[in-house]
Amino acid sequence: MNRNDDNNFDDELMAKAAKLATPVAPKRDLWPDIGQAITAQVVRERTVWNTVWAQAAAVILLVGGSAGLTYMAMSGDGDSTVPVIDTQMQLVFEPVSGSFGSQYFLGPGYQDAHRVVADNLSVRLDELSPEARADVLANIETIRKAIDDINRALAENPGNVLLQELLIDTYRDELSVMKKVDTISNNAMYRSDI
Amino acid sequence: MKIIRLALISSLGIAPAFADDVNEIMDADSDGTVTVSNVAGSVEIQGWSRSQVEVTGELGSRVEELIFERDGDEILIKVRVPRNRNGGISSDLSISVPVGSSLQVHTVSADITVSDVEGEQELESVSGDVETEAHASDIELGSVSGDVEVQGDNQSIRSRLSTVSGDIDTDSLAGEIDAESVSGDVSAINGSFERAMLNTVNGEIVFRAALLDGGRMDVETVNGSVDIEYDGDVSARFDIETFNGSIRNCFGPDSVRTSRYAPGRELKFTEGGGSGRVTINTLNGSIRLCKN
Repeated sequence: MNRNDDNNFDDELMAKAAKLATPVAPKRDLWPDIGQAITAQVVRERTVWNTVWAQAAAVILLVGGSAGLTYMAMSGDGDSTVPVIDTQMQLVFEPVSGSFGSQYFLGPGYQDAHRVVADNLSVRLDELSPEARADVLANIETIRKAIDDINRALAENPGNVLLQELLIDTYRDELSVMKKVDTISNNAMYRSDI
Repeated sequence: MKIIRLALISSLGIAPAFADDVNEIMDADSDGTVTVSNVAGSVEIQGWSRSQVEVTGELGSRVEELIFERDGDEILIKVRVPRNRNGGISSDLSISVPVGSSLQVHTVSADITVSDVEGEQELESVSGDVETEAHASDIELGSVSGDVEVQGDNQSIRSRLSTVSGDIDTDSLAGEIDAESVSGDVSAINGSFERAMLNTVNGEIVFRAALLDGGRMDVETVNGSVDIEYDGDVSARFDIETFNGSIRNCFGPDSVRTSRYAPGRELKFTEGGGSGRVTINTLNGSIRLCKN
């Protein structure tokens, strides 16, 4: 086929097409949907990366948070005069599960540290008035309920960094309150320099 | 010239078990430390211009003794009670100290009230309320079930305030504030801050004060609400997120859903030049952000 043949073919094709050419408009403008689909694809790609980053952040948060919590629980105030006694006779705290959503658990180091703080607190609580004791227990229960709330939400949204941060901070609050009650009571009752 | 003092220990007041009234006075440094321990009753401390510490009040009938000692620049006041604390130990103390004194006060169920003292204050009670004025020095106030209340005078200091179930109320503090409670409410009214950290589990957080340029504010609650109304203009980048609460923003931008599959909302925007940083996080709490 030479160039003249090509030209003839194109001319014939255009002529036939012109006879067919009755524009058919779509019932609605399709470009917004097409544009949205393209944008959504970009967002999904970003979301994949966001999830990766969120999971990376979660691991860092978990490792750092767990280590921080354990350090916080084990670091002493230096002036504790908690007597060594048989804690079986004291109020017993069941350690929280240390669960972190449905995928992670805070390590045994944290559990041990939590147990030490809880044991100290149970000794101290026994020396408080019934009202103060009930108040402390009610508030620790409040914290644990909050931990449960966050854990439930985290189980359904394991990559949610907000929930991870809130959970770590609330575990920290629990340890902080237990240590605070121990320290304040100890300062008021037993400090040898006072 | 630094004066090195030899430790001077003198026990002046030893009250017998049946005594009720106490009235003792002792010379003291104008900027020394006064430490007080009282299990039950009350402790009222007021600053005065004299370089002396005076203790008046009533001791419980079963109190063993009132220890009132000086060791160098430190004054110790302690109500000693029997190990078996079944009644008769409630003691009400009124203590006058040099205005520049630093204070360390520890009680179990005794309320603590302080006024006109300009040194550092560390005040703690298990179930008593703690109420003080803050002037030029840092304060650390804590109670388990009691309330904490502090009146500042807009001088920049560092304030660390904590309760478990009690409320925390501040007025006209400035500088840095770190306030946390489990079920109590936290309220910071008036004043201006370069750093504010407010934290509860269930309690409400209210902030009606100024955040200085370049200031940092971190607010976190699990189930409590957050109500912030800045006093005057604010320059900060805001990063607000709630998992299940609502966000009301008077600065303009609306919050957006964080995910199609979760109820969370987030709001990020910059106000003013954006020199400061504000983060607010809640699980279920609602958030309101405004300025007056």
